[in-house]
This record gives sequence, structure tokens and C-alpha cells, in this order.
Amino acid sequence: MPLTLLNCDKSIPERKKHTYVKDSTEEILPLCNIQTTPGDFTERGCTYAGCMGVVGGPVKDVIHLVHGPIGCAYWTWGGGTRPNLSDNPQFHQKYCFSTDMQEKNIIFGGNEKLYNAIIESYKEFPEAKGVFVYATCTIGLIGDDIKAVCKQAEEEIGIKVVGFNCEGFRGCSQSLGHHIANDTLFEQVVGTKEPEYTTDYDMNIMGDYNIKGDLWVIKPLFERMGIRILSTFTGNSSIDDIAQAHRAKLNLMHCQRSTPYICELIKEKYGIPYIKESLFGIEQTSKALRDVAAFFRLEEKAEEVIADEVSKIDPKIEEYRRKFEGKRIFIYQGAPRAWHWVRMFREIGIETIAAATTFGHEEDYAKICERVKDGTIIIDNPNAIEIEEILTELRPDIFISGLKEKYLAYKLGIPFINGHSYETGPYAGYSGLLNFAKDIEKAIFAPVWSMIRRRDAKCNY
Amino acid sequence: MREDLRRVAIYGKGGIGKSTTTQNLTASLSKMDKHILQIGCDPKADSTRMLMGGKRQRTVLDTLREVGAENVKLEDVLEIGFGGIKCVEAGGPEPGVGCAGRGIITAINLLEENGAYTEDLDFVFYDVLGDVVCGGFAMPMREGKAREIYIVASGELMALYAANNIAKGITRYAEHSGIRLGGIICNSRNVENELELLTAFSDAIGTHLVHFIPRDKIVQRAEINRKTVIEYDSESNQAKEYSKLAQNIIDNDDFTIPRPISYETLEKLMVDFGAIE
Repeated sequence: MPLTLLNCDKSIPERKKHTYVKDSTEEILPLCNIQTTPGDFTERGCTYAGCMGVVGGPVKDVIHLVHGPIGCAYWTWGGGTRPNLSDNPQFHQKYCFSTDMQEKNIIFGGNEKLYNAIIESYKEFPEAKGVFVYATCTIGLIGDDIKAVCKQAEEEIGIKVVGFNCEGFRGCSQSLGHHIANDTLFEQVVGTKEPEYTTDYDMNIMGDYNIKGDLWVIKPLFERMGIRILSTFTGNSSIDDIAQAHRAKLNLMHCQRSTPYICELIKEKYGIPYIKESLFGIEQTSKALRDVAAFFRLEEKAEEVIADEVSKIDPKIEEYRRKFEGKRIFIYQGAPRAWHWVRMFREIGIETIAAATTFGHEEDYAKICERVKDGTIIIDNPNAIEIEEILTELRPDIFISGLKEKYLAYKLGIPFINGHSYETGPYAGYSGLLNFAKDIEKAIFAPVWSMIRRRDAKCNY
Repeated sequence: MREDLRRVAIYGKGGIGKSTTTQNLTASLSKMDKHILQIGCDPKADSTRMLMGGKRQRTVLDTLREVGAENVKLEDVLEIGFGGIKCVEAGGPEPGVGCAGRGIITAINLLEENGAYTEDLDFVFYDVLGDVVCGGFAMPMREGKAREIYIVASGELMALYAANNIAKGITRYAEHSGIRLGGIICNSRNVENELELLTAFSDAIGTHLVHFIPRDKIVQRAEINRKTVIEYDSESNQAKEYSKLAQNIIDNDDFTIPRPISYETLEKLMVDFGAIE
């Protein structure tokens, strides 16, 4: 069965092109990375969300200043829905900075207000090592010259002030915001500082945002092999780390939707190669370690680390595998985790029966198609009504998605875990897989589901 | 707001003489015992200068910036000029910053909220900046703020080009807001066959020439003296021309949805009348 139209989409036939049931005899990908069809109740974010919320926000020692109406700054503190942990919690994600643009500022322009906001916030927090300024929709319309203001402010306060032209209305999803953040940080930060010293084993981890401490389980794996992590982009990252990223020998790209741009730019300008890896699950993490080892000629060390890590979790994972055998999952993520996790779940006995992304590009869907079995439904930019139909029709044993879908799943009596911000975490690497399995177990085998299921036959919600 | 209040907006290419024409027109109307509110919708805020004897009045938006929208009082921004004409300047940002269009929207809303449109008024005039560059400058056309539009033009290509563009804007809003084109006012530049050209152009876009104002140095002389021609020399020939314009507008009953023409048609028109070769 090729492209298919869900029952709920009868009134939006355009959605058919975004909905594909995998058949390995065909070479079809669902339509993706285009403007949302009017009438489709999309869950996508905006360019500003992608730039600040995903890529810029995790940088731990800069003031993240939202240039726009105060509403745009809502939920930008405390990580919003993204717990990008850092070792600077007394400052990072603790505060919210906004220029609070009001009617009169819109009419007369916000340059002065922005300048004053930068100076004032730096005075309040002189420990900040930089200021990131994010432009919202209105700023794009009234044409404030944020780059010029940032430059002027930088001269005044003597720390880096970086302006992102990430107005929300640009692009079709948050994806363009990642791109703008990559380009801007590359142009204005990368290469502005030299590391104290370099080694032959310097590597950057690109595209890991330290969700619930992912990076803190990933980093030691490489360090035990003898690698030095010079810079992380941008999980638990200092602006200074990003500034010296150009001196690494290799870039390891984890999130391959939000960082391919900067990896490519660094490769072009500084000749640093990059490799794309998944750092979830035993098989994929081991492959990443081996690929890095092959680059640095550290194969033996890698095998030691792998053997040690696997031996620590294998018996427990085997237990979970037996327990989960035959369970079916629906994965809906931003983009790459939808395919990062297909093989990882298979390792613990869970098969993917539906996969979706909010802002995936063709490469993401190609990777999903490569990994899932025939008959799997793959849907681009799904809305709540479509998700409800898939959950109701397929009744997966577990749904992994984000906060927006959590209560829908609960109401339908379907076990749910949050793959965006995690339930416990970290979920990456070897020990992370164990946390992942524990959370899945808690969700699937919670006694509450049997009670809800008994009622839902009679319940018209 | 009185139902029979004539709500007039004056548009036209930048520099064509909108403000001069509007002030002389309203001054003439005041002589005919009409009660008028004139609102300058241009960040330059020079629409009421001659009515105010050269005095630059406080603009709505400057006041808003200083005291906040909730504290703007009508008496702070409305002044009485020549002939009892109530004068208001919307104001706006310096060139190159902010959003002047949003300013116009905000200013007009503030005037409404503060009761500027009193029952005694016969006419309200909006004198709007140059071309209709964005939604904000179309504000007087929207939601029935103005009901009739007059376009000031001359026999020069760019003036007619702008007039045609403004006609497009009117067409866009005509159905929902009820806005209509009241006609073309020619502010002569002494271009050859100008009267014939303007008459033909008006006809082509589905309206009529309201009045042809000849070029006369007295306009500049009056301006230097910070006066309208009406105030400076009410017996002059030019004052009589403005009176005729005023009378034509009072009597006007030809309100249409214009039919803008293509650039090619406009060029052909210019060639036909020898304005360009």
C-alpha cells in the first residue's frame, strides 16, 4: 500500500502525500519539509523556537535575550519543555530576558530598547560570557537592525553579543531556526578563540543538547577511549567552547537535523571531517565508538570500553528484552530520534509500527524507511486528530512522543513516555538504554491501564 | 459619529502637493461654514502646518510615546486652526526605524477612542503619506474610516503611475469597507495637454476629474508666509480655484470602484497626449 489517506483526513486530501505505509518494493517517501496545509492542525513550532529553543538555548553562560513582545519569551526559562541540563544551573535557564516590545516600541522602532536591554541585563549579570539576541516576528516586520545594535553593544560591554535573525514566520517549521543558529554561530563565534592547548585526540560532539544529562553519559565513553572532547554543540556548552571548536580533529554529529549545516561549514573552512552517528542503544553506540576509534586509531581502547559497558547492562537488557518481546511502538519525534530509536527499540524487543516527525527532511524519512518493516505507517507533521486515529486503529503498546500528545495518549488508555524531555533519563549510551527500558516498563506495565481500558469501550470522550 | 459625516481621504504620489491642496481645500470649506477635522497621516507631520500658522503641533504618537496610550487626551493632540478647523497630526517614527504604518493604525484608533469624531463635524479629512506602501497606510481605507478618496495627481508619468496604484488599493478594500473613489484632483505641473490627459486618465480608470488646479506662484508665497492661499489672499484667482474644488467636492455624487489600468495602457495614454514620446 503506498501513500494513504487517513479517515480523518477526508477533508484535507493533501495529507495523503504526507502519509506512507512502507512497502520495500517501492521507493516512496512521504512529502515533508514544506508549508503546512491550511486546515491541518499542525503541532510545528516556528523558526524562532528552533533557533532559541533547540540550538541556542542550551549554551550555559550567555544571556538569552528575546527581542520581541513579552509573550514570545514565555516558557523560555527553566528549559521550557527542554531540560537541557548544564553544570551552571545557578544561571543557565534560570532567568528569562526579553525586550518586552510594546505598541510604541513597534511604531518608533526597537533598536534603542534592545541596546538598553543588552546593557542592563549585562549589568545585572556580569558573570555572563556573552549575549544571544533572538529576533521574533515583529522585529522582522519593523526591520530593527539587530546586527548593528549587537555590534555596538559588544563594543560597549566587551563580551560577545550575537544577533540571530530567526523571525518566526520564516520557513515552514522550526527546522530553519536550527539552520540560522548554525550559520550565525559559525560566522560569529566559531574560530574566535584558540584552545589553551590541542591534542591529537580532540573531538567535538555536535548536536547533542544534554537532555536530562545525555551528554554526561556520552562524553565519558569517548574520554575513556583517550579522546578529549574539545567542544560540545550545544549541550552544556560554554560560548568559549563553541569559539574553539575549529581546532578539533573530528566532529561527531549526533542530531543530524539540527547540526549538519555547521558541520559542513567547519569542514569547508577548517577541513575538519565529520561522521554521523546514533548514540542510542547498544549496537548504535558501539558502532559510534568503533567509528571514532578507527579515525583516531584507538580500536583496542574502544573495544575495552564497549566490552565493559555491555557487560554491565547486558543481563538486565536481556531481561527487558524478554519482557518486551512482541510489543509494538509508535514513535513521534522532532526528526532524527524517530529513526535513531527504531533499531534501539528492536534491541529490547520492541518493533516500530508507526513513525512520525514534526519537521523531518527527506533524509530523515529515507532513514526511517530503511529501518522499519513493511506495513509501518510513516507520517509527516501529524496533527492530534491523525495521531488519535493511528493510536485508536493500531493500538500500539506504547507511544513515545512529547508533552503535546501525552494526555491524548492517556485518555485513549495508551501507555506513553516523553521522548522529547524524557521521563527520567538520560537515555543515550549504554547506561541510558537501561533508564529507557525502565521507563518503558513502568509505562507499559502500570496497573492503571487495565482499569482505563475496561472503561473506554463505554466511554465517549 | 454622524452618519452623514463626509469621510474623505486624500492620497497621491509623494511631493505632488497633497498637503497643500488639502489645507487649501479645507480652508475653503471652512469659509463655506463647514466643520472640519483634518488628520495628517504622515510621519513628517506637516499636513496642518499652514492651517496652524506654521506651528508644529504635538503629534498623537509623540504623546503616546511620552505618556502611554492610556493617558493620551484629545486636548493634548487636537488644536484649532484657521477657520475653526480641528487639526491633528498622527506623527510617527524617524525615517528608517520602526513601523510608520502601525503608527497610523494606532493613532486613528486612539482618536476614535478619545471621541475626536464629534457630532458637529461635516467633514473629516485624512491626508495620507505618498504611495500606499503597506497595510498601515491603507488604514483610512479600511473599516469605513474614510468613505471617499480623492487622488491628487499631475500630468507626469510617475504621478499617474502612483494614482493608478492607489486605485488598485481602493479596489482591494472597496467590497468590504465600502470605500469609493470620489475623483482625481489635478495639481497642475504645467505639463502639455495636462487637462486632456488627466480627463482621459480619470475616464480610463472609471472616475472623473474633480477639478483642475492651475499652477500659481501665489501658493508658494502663501506657504512662505505660513498660510493657505485662502488666508493669505482670499480674493486671488487661486483662492477661487480652491473654492471651486471645495464646491465640487460638496456637490460630488460620483463615487465609483475604480478599474485600474495596466502599465502599458498608462504609457500609451501618455504617448497619445504627447506627454512622453
